[in-house]
Parts: sequence; structure tokens; C-alpha cells
Amino acid sequence: MATAALPRPPPQAGPSVPPLRPARLPSAQQPAADSSDPGVDVGVLKQLAKTGLVEALNAVPGGKTLVLDPTLAGPLGLVTEVSLLKQHGVDKMFWLEAGALSSQSQNIVYLCRPQIRWMKIIAQQIKLHTASSERHSYTLLLVPRRTILCDRILEEEGVFGDITLGQLKLEFIPLEEDVLSLEMENTYREVFLDGDNTAIYYSAQALMTVQQAFGLFPRIIGKGDAAKRLADLLLRMRQAGLADDPTSPALSLPSTVLDALVVVDRAVDMITPLCTQLTYQGLIDELVGIKNSYVEVDASLLSTAPQQMSGAPSLPAPGPTPALGPSSAQPKKKKHLLQASSDAVFTDLRDENFSVVGAHLNRLAKRLNEDYEGRHRAQTVEQLRDFVGKLGGLQSEHLALRLHTGLSEQIVPMTQTEVFNKSLEVQQNLIAGYDVNAQFSTIEDLINREAPLHVVLRLLCLYSITVGGIKPKQLENTKREILQTYGYQYLTLLLHLSSLNLLLKAPAPAPHLPLPSLRKHLRLLVDDVSEQAPTDIAYVYSGYAPLSIRLVQCVTMKPAVVAAEMGEKAVGGGSGGGEAQKEGTLKVVPRAHPIMGWKGFDEIVRSVPGETFDEVQRPEGDGTGKVDRESARHRLSAGADGRIVLPKGHSTTTVVFFLGGCTYTEIAALRWMSRQTRGRKYLICTTSIVNGSSLIDSLSPAPWAPITT
Amino acid sequence: MAPSDHPTSNWEPMQDGTVFYRKQELYSMQWKVQDLSDYKVVGARYGGPLAIVRDEHKVVALGGGQRYTKPQIQLYSSSGGLISTLSWDQGKMVCMGWTLDERLVVLNEEGLYRVYDLQGEYEQFSLGQEAQEEGVMDAQIHETGLVAITGSLNFLEIRGWEGGKAQTMASTGLSSPPNCWAIMPPELTVSRHAEVLISTESTIFTLDNLECVDQRVSRGPFTFIAVSPNGKALALLTKDNILWVVSSDFQGELAESDLSLEGVSGPPKQVVWCGNDSLVLIWDILVLMMGPYGDSLRYYYVSPVHGVGEIDGVRIVGAEKCDFLQRVPPSTYAVFRPGSTSPGATLFDAMTHFEKKSPKADENIRSIRPELVAAVDACIDAAAQEWEPYWQKKLLNAASFGRAFLDLYDPSEFVTVGQTLKVLNAARYYEIGIPITYTQYQHTSPEHLVARLTSRNLHLLALRVSAYLQIKADPVLKHWACAKIAQTKGVTISEKDDEDICKTIVSKFRGQYGVSYADIARRAWQLGRTRLATLLLEHEPRTEDQVPLLLSMKEDRLALKKAIDSGDTDMVYHVLLSLKRRLNLGDFFRLIEDGGPALVPAANLLQVYARQQNRELLRDFYFQDDRRTDSAVLKLQEASEATDMVDRTAAIRAAGKSFSEDKDRAFEARMMDEYAKLLLLQQTLEKDADGRVPFIGLSVNETIYKCITTGQSKKADRVRSDWKVPDKRFWYIKLHALTESRDWEGLDAFAKQKRSPIGYEPFVNHLLSKGFPNQAKNFVPRCDAKQRVDLYVKCGDWRAAGAECKERNDKARLDQLRRMAPNNLVQRELDQIASSMNTR
Repeated sequence: MATAALPRPPPQAGPSVPPLRPARLPSAQQPAADSSDPGVDVGVLKQLAKTGLVEALNAVPGGKTLVLDPTLAGPLGLVTEVSLLKQHGVDKMFWLEAGALSSQSQNIVYLCRPQIRWMKIIAQQIKLHTASSERHSYTLLLVPRRTILCDRILEEEGVFGDITLGQLKLEFIPLEEDVLSLEMENTYREVFLDGDNTAIYYSAQALMTVQQAFGLFPRIIGKGDAAKRLADLLLRMRQAGLADDPTSPALSLPSTVLDALVVVDRAVDMITPLCTQLTYQGLIDELVGIKNSYVEVDASLLSTAPQQMSGAPSLPAPGPTPALGPSSAQPKKKKHLLQASSDAVFTDLRDENFSVVGAHLNRLAKRLNEDYEGRHRAQTVEQLRDFVGKLGGLQSEHLALRLHTGLSEQIVPMTQTEVFNKSLEVQQNLIAGYDVNAQFSTIEDLINREAPLHVVLRLLCLYSITVGGIKPKQLENTKREILQTYGYQYLTLLLHLSSLNLLLKAPAPAPHLPLPSLRKHLRLLVDDVSEQAPTDIAYVYSGYAPLSIRLVQCVTMKPAVVAAEMGEKAVGGGSGGGEAQKEGTLKVVPRAHPIMGWKGFDEIVRSVPGETFDEVQRPEGDGTGKVDRESARHRLSAGADGRIVLPKGHSTTTVVFFLGGCTYTEIAALRWMSRQTRGRKYLICTTSIVNGSSLIDSLSPAPWAPITT
Repeated sequence: MAPSDHPTSNWEPMQDGTVFYRKQELYSMQWKVQDLSDYKVVGARYGGPLAIVRDEHKVVALGGGQRYTKPQIQLYSSSGGLISTLSWDQGKMVCMGWTLDERLVVLNEEGLYRVYDLQGEYEQFSLGQEAQEEGVMDAQIHETGLVAITGSLNFLEIRGWEGGKAQTMASTGLSSPPNCWAIMPPELTVSRHAEVLISTESTIFTLDNLECVDQRVSRGPFTFIAVSPNGKALALLTKDNILWVVSSDFQGELAESDLSLEGVSGPPKQVVWCGNDSLVLIWDILVLMMGPYGDSLRYYYVSPVHGVGEIDGVRIVGAEKCDFLQRVPPSTYAVFRPGSTSPGATLFDAMTHFEKKSPKADENIRSIRPELVAAVDACIDAAAQEWEPYWQKKLLNAASFGRAFLDLYDPSEFVTVGQTLKVLNAARYYEIGIPITYTQYQHTSPEHLVARLTSRNLHLLALRVSAYLQIKADPVLKHWACAKIAQTKGVTISEKDDEDICKTIVSKFRGQYGVSYADIARRAWQLGRTRLATLLLEHEPRTEDQVPLLLSMKEDRLALKKAIDSGDTDMVYHVLLSLKRRLNLGDFFRLIEDGGPALVPAANLLQVYARQQNRELLRDFYFQDDRRTDSAVLKLQEASEATDMVDRTAAIRAAGKSFSEDKDRAFEARMMDEYAKLLLLQQTLEKDADGRVPFIGLSVNETIYKCITTGQSKKADRVRSDWKVPDKRFWYIKLHALTESRDWEGLDAFAKQKRSPIGYEPFVNHLLSKGFPNQAKNFVPRCDAKQRVDLYVKCGDWRAAGAECKERNDKARLDQLRRMAPNNLVQRELDQIASSMNTR
């Protein structure tokens, strides 16, 4: 039995915060006034999750022991603090894990996702209590909802009658102002390998909540079979919702703040996650690892000085190893929340190509130094007071600078290894279709050198996708090499990769990705991409423009896809250093064109395997119901082809949903796109943040048990 | 329309003319009942229907074609229109009563009760074991429940009409049946639970679920207890016919009158509240009304009558007519009282003059100018209280006339009253027979009235009223559809009929939201119309409502398909797990397999479930479906969980066997063979090392590596040849292993053994990465000439690097080195080399 390693909250001074009242979704249907606003305010979703948790906890009277699903700790940590839990009677917390649970409290509250394995552990713990005639009252809160399946499992285990069941609707969690995540880590595997569509259903429900808050997506456009299923589900849920409450404005009226939902499922573009991300945040994720927005760094890089404004202690995700064991030997590691809202330096850096991060940090250090020097110039008392006033900001900036310098220093050597550079080279060459045989030899060579397995597999899958399969003899041989080198237990993983069409025998069965034509028509490779002053999304991979984002551009930023010169026009010049870029944004950037579906790219998009769709959500359901006279005045005027005509000066948000996860580079690319036009923001929604390695890990079976005899 | 009698024509003064009561005739009865005293009668409130059944205690003359039959309950509207006839074939009836939604509850002495709708369809429930054994002695029914007294004088309570379990109320300690008793319904009590008032001996007990309290009243025994409509007062009648009104908490005495002074004798048949401030007592043909101050009014009828208490009066039903007795509402009083000078009356008068084109109209208006708003309000309110459309219109006209003189007046009340009266007049029409007053309508709700019309199968009227009042019509349509389906009960139905009826229903529902097709389909299914039910279900937008019905209809495959369509995986699990319980395993699997691609999602979910919860099921599923690869992967998973060598090896061999049964998996089968072989070898290796070196679980590479680091080169070579490890890979392994064990001689010998297939750069790089620059530089001379300078620099041997430059006569490179030199010493050495180059 391990106690959850949670930081203690500071002693509560003064009266506790008054309990939160159930919040109704405020209608956020007001049109955004100008293009400088951050788009829709997603704080309401966080508040919703928080209120839900408080209500669920308050439903159990008195002190209680909270037993927490470790995979939920991270997501919960993003919406609440330990102190809040304490205020609502949680006096002890444990991780939900196999083994007996010893608790002094009468009330035990389990909080977990509705998964069979958790039900079995809970049943086991209750049975142990019964056997030792310990008496407790049990409450089980399921996230995001109670399911019949769990009821049945508890019934089969014979403890159904002992538990009060409830649910906690924790859906989208705002990771940043413009990023919402369901934090469901295994969606890619569940949907595309197991064929378990639960995550699609939960995604649809979460998107319905977004529609409840901000209005109907006027248009749902997307690519991919699973994406299609999601879109169908959204339309169906709207009908079912209207059947229950025909007057619901959130279901009958298109939003005035959102202009479309673009759904991309991960199976459509596996090239992007398989490549090594080259933005700052992407590289941290690849090389250090970011989990639920937390990164583990040397404690020395973080200061506990009062300037650290992270506020109340938070719930960090559990580490891969027990907190006690090896921590004494290694330098102490600490979890740090990487979030732009509390770290201005990070805001500037996160989406930069890593190659310019060093220079950026340098510049920042110089400026900071000058600012500090400002105190010598302070002559009068007022000037001195001014300086002291700025000091707090300077110090926190200083701390952030130290952290990011430290992180970069940690990353730089990792990017200089042979394996790293070879693998980058192979990626670039494969996408360019350059001398594929040589690339294959390099991959084989990496196996001989025992490069990390996920590096090898990422390249191998990339090879299979880009080339269209691997020659049977070669494939068999490589598989054998892998099994002998890394262990036969990876056979299951190899089978999984092939059933996902990631590792196929040549000639691969149709349909497969028509890379050469995509390369040409979607400009997947951009030759002279500038890392300092990006003129194209391709900067995030130093040359490769992520396919997924190109597809989004086909809907929202057509000129950027069409031609290089058009693309450059779109960003206003585009030559010169970072400063020029800054000036560029001050210049008049072009207005975003209205959403017109796939128009102009139908054929090329259709050539990518997976369903292509474009649905218009019209105001009055099927067109059969009565139109609310009141509402007709408010809604946007939709043309005959469902094209939404925006009023002048009106800014809207396009929601991009990644079914199966997205990478930090994709987020960076979308943010870059937001800055290129006026009038369109992006709200990025995803099932979780992924990278090639985490995807491959999710496909791997559990580690083999040690032989004890 | 002919002018009706003036409204005041049926007024009777009380309290010296300060209060008036009016008794207006609502209907002359359509029924053929001769003498109401032959029947037990219960009427529903709010102008609801009447249920009558022949009183078994009365002597009936048989003959003339009449035969004794089982009792029949007849349901009539307030105007005496027959709604339906129910035949009661159960044991002796104890009591009848109406629910709030106008269903008739009938209870028999065995504790069995039925809840009938107006069409005679019923649900049957029981009070439970105790009531059945002890028998039910008496019972009373209120709108939301009932209380029964068992033979052993226990009080049982039923709450709601869904067939809930009977609750035993607190013990009373009674030894004999109460003299009389009454229920204070839950909506009137503080606790929101029903309370029972019991008259026993001289006192009254109040009883609820928790306790029985003696109220210490000494004037009993009582023959009647009546609770006022607002629950604030109780009317108690002593056996000496003294009517005593107290507050319901027994704290205050409100009125007392001795009925013997009124010249009546014997107990009345009924004591009914008329509104909240007066009481009506009925002796067959005499109706005596007692006002709050002891004054009384009497009405005589030609035949026995029955009273039905309303919140604002009392309905008096006789064989010939139905009357409504109430206190004249204040606004009506103000407008119509003879000689009234109230603003309302003046306005009404002005209107009359206006119609006559008399200038007095203007004079009147002028005189009440400051109070005109109140006058208009009074006329609107009086109109609402009026029964005759003629006077309603006149009053509304007066209001409208007055309004014209006002600059600002909120017309919403005027519009509401006008609309409402239109609806009320329609409901009051004798063929409908719901004499609901405006007050009653406000006390209930428009939806309630629509529901009542619906339950009388008056769908068209209900629909029109819904549309007129803009309220949701879906309950009406649903009821209509169910009634439509029920109509064809017992008739043979063709497929076409089903399709037609489905089409009719769907076309009626088009454009209506919120209609539950699933509920209608369930009704169809209950009536044995499975095909129709299936057709209707197709139109249900909420899949979660479709699936349970399909499951109970045993439409298993369709249920599964619908569940899949819903996208809600939990719904699929629900169907799967229900089917797994009901069907045998073979049928269960066949259902899924034969479903083809449409049911693949269900098969996937079954696997996800079974992998964690029921491995055996999964094994069977794969076996039956011939899924060799999946079987093999499952066995591999079992192998991974095995902690015993024998089990693991067996599982791996089993996996290999499964793979070999799939012709596309020869490679995998071979790999499993290799794996099993490796495990055996590792076992031997561990044994040879006396268990000091762990081998089991290592990969082939790691095994070779381990062999080398533990000095078993021979064995390493054997593994290499047995597993056909290619040269390149082997060289890397050996390089790593020898470096690890710092076997520099071994490494040197190995390097010289033959020309390295991987070149010598990896030697240099690996040794460097492990921190052995001195050993690393030994291998530089064997590397590619072009790389040597760089490699030497990497090894930190600047002099060698310089020498190399000199060798290759690369002056530029040397100069570069000189610029990069880390210290003076190196600098000098490089300078020397440079100068030696210059001199040459």
C-alpha cells in the first residue's frame, strides 16, 4: 500500500473559501469584438469540472479517504488543488492500485475512469475489508460517467450492493488558453487497434458540451473514418438532444463565435507523430517527456523563492517509479507545470524551432541584464520606486530564464548524438523520397547499434508508410533482427503495428498514402524554410509541413497550401530576421477567408485514405421544425451552400479536434496560422498530447513478469 | 346569444348582506340515474368525473329483466355523460377514489387495488401480505396515495400510484375501529407526508409514519372529520350534531354551531367544505350551508344529491342536474352588487350606457378616472369568474372600453383571461363536461387540463388547446398514437396495416419534437404488435430508448445493431452482457459472427471486455471463429504473465502452434520456436553459472553480451551461430561487451581478427562515449583517412591530429587546429609541426 505522494498544502489561514455553487453554463454567444481578443474563453470548462468535483465530494458527508486512479491525477491536477480537496473533507489520499487498502475513515471515495481493471481492484479491496470485518461506506465516482459495464463487473464480483455509484463529468481540460485536452492517453490504441469506440463517444459528448457553451458548430468538416464516426455521432446527439428539448438554443442555433469544427483523426496522418518534433516544447516532450503539462526537471532549476507564482500546490501526475526508491541516488527531480499563463519566457519559446532557442535565450538574458542595470540609472526616488516596482517581474522572468536555459542545456547534447541526427536525416530523406534504399540500410545499422527501440520502430514505420511497404524479405529479416536484439516479447507489438497498417509488406494493399502527389500538391516539403522567421508551418519540422495541418489549411487557409509565393504573401514579406517578423505582424495581415469546406482541394484530400466529409449544421434541425422567430435574427446568415458569411470585423474561432492525439508541433503550427490572418483563431482540442514514442508505447503489451523460480 | 339571467339572480345574502353565495346550475344531467341514494358516488376535484356503483347495502327490486350481476362501476362526466363502464369482478370493494390525473382507484378487502384510466385500462397492485391476511377494514384515497386500516387496526400507507410498497404507519394502540377518520394529504402538511386524523372515544389522534399523538380533545366522539381545502382548518361533527371548526393544529377554535337549532336531526350523509370558509352538510335532499358566523342557507332538491368539494366551492350533483355553490367572488360582488358604486360597477354601467349611445357613459368614466385601472382590473377578474359566455363578453367589453381611456395599461392579463376563457368554455361544454372554474384552472395548470382532455380520448380538442396555449403537444400525440394502436386490438392485422398505421403516426408527429417513439412502440409491443413496434422504433431518435425495448422483444441482433449505431459503447456492452446471460455460448457467438461487418464493433468490445474479465470466453471466441493469430497473441499474453518457467515455455510453444496454423504466420511461428529454444538455453546458462548470473528474459543480443562479459566467449560464439546473428550486429555486441569488461587485449585481438565489417570508427566512438580516450585513439589509424584528424581531436590527442595533417600535407586544417588549440602546450606543439611543414 503506497500513500499517494502529494505535496502538503500550506496551512489554511483564515476562513475557508465558500463552497462553490453549481455553475450554469453562461452563454458565451457574444461575438468577439476585435481580432486581438484570445477567442472563446475556455475557463468555463475548467470551472465546470471543478464544481462537479466539489459537488461530488460534498455528497459524501464528513471526512473521507480519497482513492485516486493514477491516470486521473494529472488531469485533476490541472483543474483543482489539494487544498480544495481538503476543504471538502478529504483527509487522506491513496493511489488506486492492487492490494489491500487500510483506511481509518468511515467513508472511502474511489475516483477512477470506468475501466474493468479498476473495478476488479476495488472489488478486491472491499472483499478484503469484509473478510476482516472492517466497516466502511464506499462511494465510487466514475469519470466521465457511470456505465452499465462497471455496474455489471461489480455485480459479477459481488460487491455492487456495497457501493454508492456516482459520476463526475470531467471532459475537456484547458491545458492552455487555446488547447483543450480530454487527457485520455490511450485513445489511439483503443480506437484504431482494439476497435473500441468508447473514446469517440466521450469525445462527442465533450464536443457537445463545447457546443452547449458556445453554440453549434456551423460546419463540421473532417478527414478519416473515425473522424466521420465522431461527426455522425455529433449530428445524432444533436437530434437526440432536440428530441428532448426542442427549444434548446445551444442545439438549434449555429454559434456566432465558432465558425467550424475540423476533425482530423490520427490514422489519417501518422507521418507527423513519427517524425521528431523540432519545436522547443516538442523537443522537451520527445527527449525529456511532458506528462499532463508537467515536466520533470532537476530541482536545482526550480527555485522555491516567493516569486514563483504557481500558486497553490498542485496534484502532479505520479512518476513512473515510486517516489522513495532511487531519488536519493540521482539529483533530485521535481515536477514543474509548463504553462504559458505562468511563464512569459515559455510563451515566447514554446513554439520556436529549437535551433533559434539558444539565440532567443541569449537575447533575453542580455535584455534582462540591462533591465537590472537600470537600477544604476535610477537617480530620483521616483525612478527608484519605479524600478522596485518592476523588480518582482524581473525576478520571476529571471527564474524562468534559468529554468529554460537549464532545460535547453539538457537537451542540446541529446540533439548532438549520432542516433538523433541519423534518425532526423532518415526522416527528411524518406519524406523527400530520396534514396530510400540507403535509408533502409541506415535503419538496419541503427538496429545493429542497438539504438532505442522506439527510434527504430518510428523510422521503420515511417519507411513503410512513405515508401508503401517493405519488401517481404527485408521486412522479415528486419523483424527478426529486432526480435533478437530487443527481445522476442516485442512480437506482439510488431503484429499490432502491422494490423494498424504502419508496418506492411510491399506492395502494401490499397488504399495507401499517395505520398508523391501529396508532396507536390500539398507542399509537404518546403525547401528554404526559415527557422528564425517562419514563412510556413514547415518550420516545426525544419522542412516537413505536417500533413494533418496541411489538411486543416485546406479548409481554413487555402492560399498557404496552393503555392510558395502565395504562402509568403500571406505572411507579408517573410524575409529578414525575427525582428522583421515582429514588424510583419504589425503590418496589415490579410483577412481569413470564410469556411468553404474542402473546396479546391477535394480531389487531393480524397486521395488520402479515410472518409472525407463536410456537414452543415443548419439552424432548425431537419428543416422540419418551427424556426424560432427570435433566433432567426441572431444567427449568421448561411448561404445556399452552407457557406458562412462573416460580418465585417467579426472574429471567429475554428475548433480543430484531433481524434487520437496531437503533437506539440501541430499545436505550434496552428498557433502560427492564427497569427497569419485576421479574424480567425484556432481552438485546439485533442484526446491527449502524443508523440511517436508515446503512441508506440501505448501499443506495447504490459512488460513481462519476472520468472520467480 | 340571448341575454341570460342577470348574474345576481341566483345570489343569496349571508351575514346581513355583506357576503353573497351563489348557486348556479351547470348542467342538466344526461344520465338515466333515478335516485342517487342507491349508489356510492365519488367525484374527482376540479370538475372531474364521477364514479358511481350500486350500493350493496340498499335493497334493489329485481325483476323486469333485471338480474343480479357483478357490480359495475360507471364513470360519468359532470354533465352525466357516460365515459365508460368497468366491471368489478374482484372481492368486496372497500373504497374508491380519484387520483390527481383522474384515474380511478378501487380497493378490495384483500388489499388488492386497481388504478383504472378513463378507458377502463388498469394496473393492479397489492397492499402486501399483511393486508391480504388480515383483510382491509376501511380505507381512504387521496389524490396522491391512500391509507388503509387492516383487520388488526394497523394503518398502511401507499404513496404514489406506481405500485410502491405499502408503508406501515406508526402504531396507534387502538382497540376498536375509529368512529371516523380523515387524511390530511401530503401537500397540505408541514412534513410533506400524509397524516391521518382518527376520532376515537372522545379525542382525536394524529398519526403519521413516525408517531401517533393524542390531541387531547374531549368533545368526541365525532361522526365526521373534514379537512378544509387549504388544510388550515378541520370541521368536526359531534354525535349531537354540533359542528365545531378548529384550526388543524387544534390550537384555535374557529366556529361552533348547533345544528339541532337548524331543525335537522340525525347525522348528515356528507360534510363537505365549500371553499375554505364555509361548510356544506347534506341530508339526502337537503343541502345546508353553514357560514363562518353561524348563519346558514338551505337548498332543497327533488331527489338525493351528492357533494363534491372544490377549492373554491362545492359541486352538487343530483339525478337531474349539477350545480355549483360558491361564495360570490369579490370582483363579481363589486361589479354586480345591486347599488354598487365601486369603480368596476361604474365602468360596467358606463359600458352599458355607451352601448345605448348615452352620454352618461362619459360622465361615468370621468367620475372614476383616478380609479380606472382598478375598474378595468375588476371587470377582467369578474369576467374570469363568470360561467356564462354572455356575461364574460360583456365584462371583457367593459374592460376593453375602460382601457381605451388609459395611456399605459399592461394588456397581458386581459389577453390571458380572454384566451383562458375560450379554453374553459370549450372544456365546460356539456359534451365534454369539465366544469372547471378559473380559480381551479389556475390552481392546476394548462398542461393538467390538456392531460385530462387527452385521457378522455379527446385528442383533437387537446391538440387544439395545446396549440392555442402554445404548450407542448407531444403527450397528446403520444396518447393518441397509443389509443390508435389499441383500437385494433384483437383484429387480425396485415403487414400493410402496420405500415399504414406507422405512417399515419409518423406523419402526425412530423415537426413535433420530444415525441418518444419508444414509448409508443412499447405499447404496441405490449398489445402484441411486435412488427409495428419495430417499425415505430425505427423513428426513435434516442437510441438508448430503442435498445432496451428491442432486447425485451428479443430482437437481439437488431438491438445489438442499434446499440452500435448509437455510438455509445456502454449501450453495446449492455446488450452483449444481457445476451451473454440469456443465450448459450454457441448461440451468443454465432449471433455476433453471423452479423458480418455491421457487428464487428460489438465483437471488438467483447474482446476488450473478455481480455480483462473473462479470458476463458475470449479463448472460446477465438477458437470458434478460427482466429489463430489472435489466439496466439492471447497465449503470448498468458506467457508474459506466467511467473513459472514451465508455464511460460508451454505458453510460448502453444502460441507458436497457433501461429503455425495460419499460413501467413510462418515467420511468427518460427520466432516462437527460437524463443522457446532461447529460454531453454538461458536456463542451462543460469544453471552452469550456479544461478549467479541471471540470463532468463534476456534477448539474444543481451545473452551474447552477458556471455562475453562473464568470460564465456565460446558460448557467445555458439549463440551467434545457432541464431545466425549477422556479422555486423555481432561485432557491435562484442565491442560493447569487451568495453564493458575493459578487456583491452581482447578488444585488440578481436579488432585484428579480421577486417571489421562495421569499420573502426564505431570502436573509437564507443570507447570515447564510455570515457576511454586512450584506448579509443589506438583505433584511429585504422579508420578512414579523411576522418582521422577529427577523431584524434575527439580523443584529445592534438599532436596526433597535427601529425595527421602533416602526413596529408593539409596546411589549412593544421592552421584551423592551431586556432582551436585548447592550451599553450598544445599550441606550441602544433606550431612546431606547422613549422616543420614549412621547412620542408
